[in-house]
Amino acid sequence: MGIVLFFVLQNRKAMKTKKKPLYQRKAFIIILILFVGFVGIQFVRPDVPNLPVTGDLEAPADVKAIIQRACYDCHSNNANLRWYDKIVPVYWGVASHIKDGRADLNFSEWNKLAPADQKGKLWESINQIIAGAMPLPSYTAVHTEAKVSPADLAVLKNYLASMVHSKPADTAAINAADKQYLHWEKNETAITKLSTAANGISYIPDYKNWQPISTTERFDNNTLRVIFGNDIAVKAIKENKIHPWPNGAIFAKVAWAQLQDKDGTTHTGEFKQVEYMIKDDKKYASTYGWGWARFKTPKMVPYGGANVLFTKECMNCHKPMAAEDFVFTLPIKH
Amino acid sequence: MKTVYSLIIACTLMLAACSDNKQVELYNTKAALPASAKYNLGGLKVITSFVNKTKGTASTLYGNDLALKAAIEGNKIIAGNEIFTLVTWKQQDDDHWFGAKIPSDVESVEVIKTASSGNNVAINYQQLNGKPLDLKTDTSGQAERIKYILGQKPSVLP
Repeated sequence: MGIVLFFVLQNRKAMKTKKKPLYQRKAFIIILILFVGFVGIQFVRPDVPNLPVTGDLEAPADVKAIIQRACYDCHSNNANLRWYDKIVPVYWGVASHIKDGRADLNFSEWNKLAPADQKGKLWESINQIIAGAMPLPSYTAVHTEAKVSPADLAVLKNYLASMVHSKPADTAAINAADKQYLHWEKNETAITKLSTAANGISYIPDYKNWQPISTTERFDNNTLRVIFGNDIAVKAIKENKIHPWPNGAIFAKVAWAQLQDKDGTTHTGEFKQVEYMIKDDKKYASTYGWGWARFKTPKMVPYGGANVLFTKECMNCHKPMAAEDFVFTLPIKH
Repeated sequence: MKTVYSLIIACTLMLAACSDNKQVELYNTKAALPASAKYNLGGLKVITSFVNKTKGTASTLYGNDLALKAAIEGNKIIAGNEIFTLVTWKQQDDDHWFGAKIPSDVESVEVIKTASSGNNVAINYQQLNGKPLDLKTDTSGQAERIKYILGQKPSVLP
């Protein structure tokens, strides 16, 4: 656009002054060089292969149509590139989005996820849509048909809500919780050597002595959660200094399986995990200013194993909360 | 020149459209307990947390160190100086996560304090209701509430 405009303006000027012929003028030569360069870079093309579909997402037709329209260009093995997507340098951005998109979530390789993870991904996806983070606004600005309308969102919400089944706990869940409780009660789960995640963050046993700042019932994945804050976090809450949170603030979010009684009272069952967010805007500058870690089961097995890239998963999910310093929890201030 | 001006105006409008003017909600103000001398959560630890899906309530049971220790031992023996506090909130949908419910207006705060004198242990129970934390004067049903609260199994916090 800019090039064309420049060319037109130069041309008009030339008509008025009547100087050298067109091909001898500096401006013309510069434009020619730019044009040749533009054509040249068209041949620098990263590959966007349309890979085989190993097992596509299965969902009711209306739900699937929305997901295909809004998500499949970047989150499936069938990228439907328009002609304007294929022009370099736009194409470079498109190719990198597709590569990252497929790595985070790929509906064409849906069968590679465990059923619980499939459910988790769907809930995460709808929350990204609700938050306006997905589909990427820069993408829908051009591909307007990918926008998710309020009516589309209602269809997706209904579908997910229909997957929630609230029922009393079965014997297996009760037994598993009882077994774990007995070990814990007798102090047999005490950890002598602190386990450490790939990013160097260690399990912090003291979290249970911190103040709870909120609780959550998660009906999307049948867990109950308590979010604890350390002294620095609790002080910041009291003093209204949580935007941004001060360095040294730490949250510990604990999740248990739900154990529902016949009367609807739902207690904490098996301990699932504890997750930490440690604020340090310098030390953790590359991960939104927070250190992230998750330790699973009472054995405190670090999530992600030796792969430090697990933090990308944490960041992707928390990204829509950028305006809230990447924190989902609304603390309760007493 | 007109074209250039229109372009500049168009670009400015586009950039303005991108700026984020969203109001940021930082606290769950609804669920906050009013300051009151009738209860004190300071220094108390979490014993357990539970919800009632039929009633749409969320509760957290707090206790001092003695209460937590007694609860882990199944509250078989009631000793003195134990403090249990059960806070129950109504629930609300979590605006930040479709699929989650968080506490809303406080429904009740129930406080149990034990005191020993000689061989006897006295159990004092108080129920504070609603946002004004009105003391419930009707004492019927207290024994049942005490039994219920002391019967709560602690959450596994390894």
